[in-house]
Amino acid sequence: MGLLRYTLWRLVQSIPVLIGIITITFFLANQIPGDPVEIMLGPSPAQEQVEAIQARYGLDRPAHERYLTYLSGVASGDLGQSIYYDRPVLEMILLRLPVTLYLTVSAFMFAIATAIPLGVISAKRRNKPADHVSRIVSLVGVSTPSFWIGLMLIIVFAFYLGWFPARGLPLPWEAPADIRGAETQLQVIRTSLHHLAMPMVALGTLQMAQITRIERSSMVESLQGEYVKLARAYGVPESTIVRKHAFQVAQLPVITIIGLGLSTALGGAVLTETVFEIQGMGRLIITAINNQDYELIMGTTFMFGVAFVVGVIITDVAYAYIDPRVAYGDE
Amino acid sequence: MATGSESQTDDLSTRDEESGAGEIEARVGLRYTLKQVKRDTTARIGIYTVGFVTLVALLAAIDYYLFDYAVAEAVWYSPVRDPDQVNRLLPPVGMENQFGAGAIEHPMGTDHRGRDVFVRLFYGTRIAITVGFMATGIGLIGGTLIGSVSGYYGGWIDDLLQRVTETVYAIPFLVLVIAFMTAFGRDLTFAMIGVGITSIPVFNRLIRSRVVSIREEDYIEAARAAGVKDRNIIFRHVIPNSFAPVLVQATLQIGVSILIVAGLSFLGFGAQPPTPSWGQMLSASRNYMLPAPTFSLFPGIAILITVIGFNILGDGLQDALDPRINN
Amino acid sequence: MSEPLLSVDNLKTQFFTEDGTVRAVDGISFDVYEGEIVGLVGESGAGKSVATSSILRLVDSPGEIVGGEITFKGETIFGLEEGDDGEPRPRDDMLSEKEMRRRIRGREIAIIFQDPMESLNPVFTVGGQLREFIEINRDLSGEEAEEEAIDMLREVGIPAPESRYDEYPHQFSGGMRQRVLIAMALACQPDLIIADEPTTALDVTVEGQILEMVTELQEKYDTSFIWVTHDMSVVAEICDRVNVMYLGEIIEHAEVDDLFYETKHPYTQALLDSMPRPDKTVHELDPIKGVMPEAIDPPSGCRFHSRCPHAREVCREVHPEQRDLADEGEPTHSAACVMYDAFEVGYEESRPIETEATGGFSAGLTETGDGE
Repeated sequence: MGLLRYTLWRLVQSIPVLIGIITITFFLANQIPGDPVEIMLGPSPAQEQVEAIQARYGLDRPAHERYLTYLSGVASGDLGQSIYYDRPVLEMILLRLPVTLYLTVSAFMFAIATAIPLGVISAKRRNKPADHVSRIVSLVGVSTPSFWIGLMLIIVFAFYLGWFPARGLPLPWEAPADIRGAETQLQVIRTSLHHLAMPMVALGTLQMAQITRIERSSMVESLQGEYVKLARAYGVPESTIVRKHAFQVAQLPVITIIGLGLSTALGGAVLTETVFEIQGMGRLIITAINNQDYELIMGTTFMFGVAFVVGVIITDVAYAYIDPRVAYGDE
Repeated sequence: MATGSESQTDDLSTRDEESGAGEIEARVGLRYTLKQVKRDTTARIGIYTVGFVTLVALLAAIDYYLFDYAVAEAVWYSPVRDPDQVNRLLPPVGMENQFGAGAIEHPMGTDHRGRDVFVRLFYGTRIAITVGFMATGIGLIGGTLIGSVSGYYGGWIDDLLQRVTETVYAIPFLVLVIAFMTAFGRDLTFAMIGVGITSIPVFNRLIRSRVVSIREEDYIEAARAAGVKDRNIIFRHVIPNSFAPVLVQATLQIGVSILIVAGLSFLGFGAQPPTPSWGQMLSASRNYMLPAPTFSLFPGIAILITVIGFNILGDGLQDALDPRINN
Repeated sequence: MSEPLLSVDNLKTQFFTEDGTVRAVDGISFDVYEGEIVGLVGESGAGKSVATSSILRLVDSPGEIVGGEITFKGETIFGLEEGDDGEPRPRDDMLSEKEMRRRIRGREIAIIFQDPMESLNPVFTVGGQLREFIEINRDLSGEEAEEEAIDMLREVGIPAPESRYDEYPHQFSGGMRQRVLIAMALACQPDLIIADEPTTALDVTVEGQILEMVTELQEKYDTSFIWVTHDMSVVAEICDRVNVMYLGEIIEHAEVDDLFYETKHPYTQALLDSMPRPDKTVHELDPIKGVMPEAIDPPSGCRFHSRCPHAREVCREVHPEQRDLADEGEPTHSAACVMYDAFEVGYEESRPIETEATGGFSAGLTETGDGE
């Protein structure tokens, strides 16, 4: 019960943040130089055409009016119309968002799956060779640009070794007919995972390194906790202490870092999608910007914000699930 | 509880108390920091790396601002103008690709327009370092102002400022900077400002939490009772007290800023051609990954070394300045 | 009383730090018999906690037991012998780490820690933690262990134990958490419970309740206790025999009444004088002068001489071993102080010295003196 109420409370809390995101996005989009009408119709359009377009996109009205219209539009699920694609913004986003989420979520799964064992081993063998290796790996990981990792992976594993494809990312649930060389759904999934491997590593390395660092320091602290001493004094085997008693407490700061890392990862998705030519949200926003597609710029920026806010709420709820002190009030 | 550790911490705390206010001042000051850094091996490696990269950047900056690349051009190759010979995309010396064999005068090969990669990397250092320091500076100043005002006054000012920074933080920062640059300008200046703004929440949170805890201290109460102006209390007492953690965070943030700006340049936001910048070199190299893979290699290594330097220094500073956290 | 349950002989535990070797426990010996509560008293930093973790062989690195012998119910918890290379090595009969974990810790010797706030794991329910320890140490199934856990919570005075079983530590008050820790110790049905300053973090009313409860339960289960504390009033309330520790050594040992009424060692006297009592005003309290020196570099001779009001030249030179000073037929009452004739080192002839306690060449030489 406590957990459910907490989740709802966090959702309610996020409403002003979302309105804030819309405001910032609107303000920025409004500052963009250039005339969208000119972009659509060319240098010297007919007057009636201009007026028609202005009326259609509401460009003839003052900014605050358009802001309110946009705000109420978003509230009712209307993110406006993409000039470049000539389709509703929401439709474009729903087409691209799954790709970015697929990539980002996989990158985090890769990061967590490698970082947690690495961090725990590091903490358990503090200042021993395994610890030094893990610390160097994570130091290099936080210092390497993700897009460069992508380039290197492509050169080595796509061009030289030919193990993985260099571009594109089909979704595992796409119809076999849409994927070249795939006849069954299983083959689609295999193709999808095959394409996923490199971008996932490129995007996930930074997260992996960051989580390893936090996991290590958090585990080191937790292993020195009084409750660990108590468990040892009652004959609990060391392996159980590491896996259960110390581990669970140590995950609290790790969850926080994962939540904050979402911001980096979603931004990094723009770069990764560029490197691997993946048609996701990142490419969408770049296309929107390059074509001065205002409503698409606002829509994609807003959606990135929504993705981050939702991600943070999920991690907060996960935190509350592990730490009873959050959901059950006090302390 | 082990007596060993008990006596160690006791030792530290008594040293603190006995030495009095002067020593406490010294413990947070610059000279104390340098002394601690000298004793910590990791911090020393970090400071050498950062020092080296900064020196290179300084030399490049002198040549750029005072002589418009004349010095480099005189002794070597121009980083911006296309050379006369058209042997494009040479590999590093000792290697061969479809454009020919690497030449001794191009130790790291040439780029797609025949310009020397090594010289361009040299000039790229200037941009990376400038961007790192400027963006972090903007974030630091903005975050300190907002965080200290917010934490010191509390109430509705605090609520308002925190909600605003929270909202800024809620948009993934690369996306926010891209949107910001689209609105105001695509060049390097706006990249720095944009990255600086997105790092404000980091410093804001750090400073605010310290201010909130320091606000209640006796000596602040005393200063306030004695009629010292709020502004003076913040600048004389509260901010100096946060020196150590802010220094650590700022060092790490420089590395992060360099990474973000490199990413922006890679996407075409930031330094515009023909200005030599690492991110933009990597962007250009994308079209030549198959015929000239080393073209993509060196700018990345330059970024890696620079950022690692700041990260090692940041970690080292943390160890050196906070004796309780011993790795 | 025949064989002691636990016997600690000349135990030495040291910490190897960057600044040097800290001799946290430096040759202490004491016994615990069945059904008694033995006190281990001293200021913080005297080495009490290190001594108790040594008994369970749970000294954290860089600490290490370097000498002495610990025997429990005829089994060797710790014991060294000289190896072929002349270096000391663990004796063959010493219990292995695995045997310690499976047979001794929790099952035979349980411990109650000082800090009830930190000792319970914040992310697991109180009942779950209790049940886990019972399962491990009593070979009970999950269900039986749960039943036992609830019974035990009731036993230590936690109201509505069935519902509180599923609550988390942060929902318990400090006193209640300490009761939970006591329940853990008792529930494992050990023969010996080490209580490491269990009431220090609690307020006086709660402390009183807990002491009362422990006394009752101790009688009921006939468990032996080692009660570690710095508080003489707690000692008076529950201990049968007392060992007073100063800087890694036991400097006085006696039955509780003898210790209070026939105090031998000046340090014990100083501890008693600094204890708040209803018959004394605050002004009459006499705190111990100075701070305890570091165990890394203990003073020469008698370690207390730097703070002792009766210190003389000889105290700086001679390091006294504990000797039994009780009259014939009386229970043992040993102390380590050269002030007593039994030590025969010429205390009477020696010159008084300036110490933190005397603040100069004090005249009050024989205030307590040979007060027998």
